[in-house]
Amino acid sequence: MIEVNNLSKTFQKDSMEVRALQDVSLTIGKGEFVSIMAPSGMGKSTLLNILGCLDKSTEGTYVLDGVPVHAMDDDELSRIRNEKIGFVFQSFHLLPRMTAWENVILPLIYSDSDSNMKEKAIQVLTSVGLADRVDHLPRELSGGQQQRVAIARALINNPRIILADEPTGNLDSTSGEEVIKIFRELHAGGVTLVVVTHDMEVALQADRVIQMKDGRISSDRLTGSQLAEVAR
Amino acid sequence: MRVLRLSTQALRAMAENKTRTFLMMLGVVIGVATLTVIASSVLGARAEVMGKVEKWGLDQIMVMAGSGRKPGVPQTVPTTLKVEDAQAIISEIANVKDVSPQINRRDFPVKYGNKSSYGVLIAANPNWSSVWNTPPEVGRFLSEEDTGRLARVAVIGRTIQKDLFQDEDAVGKQILLGNNPFEVIGVLEARGTAATGVDMDSRVVIPLSTGQKRVFNQDYLFMIKVALHNPSRMSQTVDDVRALLRERHNLPKGVEDDFTIVTPTQVMVIASKLSMTFSLFLVLVTGISLIVGAIVIANIMFIAVNERTAEIGIRRAVGARQRDILVQFLMEAVSGASIGGILGIILGLIGLKALSGFMKLPTALMWEPIVLALLSAIVVGLIAGIQPAKRAANLNPIDALR
Repeated sequence: MIEVNNLSKTFQKDSMEVRALQDVSLTIGKGEFVSIMAPSGMGKSTLLNILGCLDKSTEGTYVLDGVPVHAMDDDELSRIRNEKIGFVFQSFHLLPRMTAWENVILPLIYSDSDSNMKEKAIQVLTSVGLADRVDHLPRELSGGQQQRVAIARALINNPRIILADEPTGNLDSTSGEEVIKIFRELHAGGVTLVVVTHDMEVALQADRVIQMKDGRISSDRLTGSQLAEVAR
Repeated sequence: MRVLRLSTQALRAMAENKTRTFLMMLGVVIGVATLTVIASSVLGARAEVMGKVEKWGLDQIMVMAGSGRKPGVPQTVPTTLKVEDAQAIISEIANVKDVSPQINRRDFPVKYGNKSSYGVLIAANPNWSSVWNTPPEVGRFLSEEDTGRLARVAVIGRTIQKDLFQDEDAVGKQILLGNNPFEVIGVLEARGTAATGVDMDSRVVIPLSTGQKRVFNQDYLFMIKVALHNPSRMSQTVDDVRALLRERHNLPKGVEDDFTIVTPTQVMVIASKLSMTFSLFLVLVTGISLIVGAIVIANIMFIAVNERTAEIGIRRAVGARQRDILVQFLMEAVSGASIGGILGIILGLIGLKALSGFMKLPTALMWEPIVLALLSAIVVGLIAGIQPAKRAANLNPIDALR
């Protein structure tokens, strides 16, 4: 699903060159649930932005779903984001004055589908347990509910991959568990998931944990549950 | 359909930020309201002037006594233009159809009972009515018999009739012109205000002979109105009239005319020059207020873009292209300006309605100024919106999401 080779990213910051990513190579298969762990400032957000086609690498190649995206222009990248990627952010990033369903249909606004958008949104909201919150504004929802609206938004276009950046970072433990539970269900349904976190407990929910340090991958291993499965 | 979805997003955003939208519209509302009022009144005034000139007659010229006022030279009463001159003009110049020799006096006191008014007193012959294309609406006009017997009869205009008689029938009543008693024999058809601003309905017409002998006590004329057969040969006829009068008045070469010939083209040129200056000034004022409107919109849009970076980042993350962001923000600016424009037009029309109490304005709704106003609003929105929209579109989605 994701094939990254020798990816590097350098920034100019106050006339200093900052290397956020160095020589990162990574393959993530279809249906995998991967977490990326790193202390802040170690390049994980940069990697996620590049994987999410929000940013471009300085060097290296990136093939997503069989398509080389490293050479694409902004319009093509927008299309990829729209069709193949669903984002879940730490701070939810919902539009505050739009209702849950209006937030959920946002990706449809920029896609070519002209189907009944609200109906589709209600379907997805029901699947994340928010059937009774369709017409609520974000401020009328709890943090966990807001994050589930955001997940519904990420799912509305049936993306090939979900990218989550600290999805439980702003949630209490109960809400966090709910979100993780939804991720596990999505994973069970065959969705590819990449979760960036510095919370070990969250990271261990994934099949595979990639650790980063100073812009490089420092370790990449299967978690206990997955190991057990492999062993069996 | 994408455009349709984008426009609903734009309208949504505007509805969410009512204060912002209101402020955005305000400048355009004011600009467009002024534009509507101004354009309507200028166009209306122009149409009215042209209508006046046509009513006044494109086939007519006026010979005024005197050489016209000159700065620094004391005005003497010109006494050289005579009835005989008028007769000579019609008998000797082939293109002349009719002449109306007349004595005019402005601000002449007119009284009936205890009511009084001031009118333009005109002493003229019975053909005045046809030369001026002003038939009586009630009663009759002057006759040859009236002229022959120096009758004390008068035909009055609508304004005078209203001032002195209100709704009462004026025909047969005795009025005082100065201290002379006259009998009203008719009321003239309404003619409105002339291009020069004179109320044509304040005219009071009496026989020329009566005027000369009983009122003014003078044999010279104030003016001769000359109707032509063929208006296309007007300039030739003007030359002929000038030559004839110079000869009759024994004016040697080098001495200036003791009369002034006014043609409708001259009147039209003066009128259109006036309205040109007027419109130029007003276009300037409107232009400035629209520019101010554009600056207001641009600033508010810039503020909105800064406030809404997160929104822009979210939209970009879920697949909005730079173009989509540009279109959305541009639509917000343009629809804000357009709605402002529509409100401005409504306000302008209300203003026109209010103004029509104070000045003469066209009663018919004119669509040209309305279309002009709406188009300028849209252009203002586009011009004001493009830079902020570009900035929004060029935001780096990563920075916008931070």
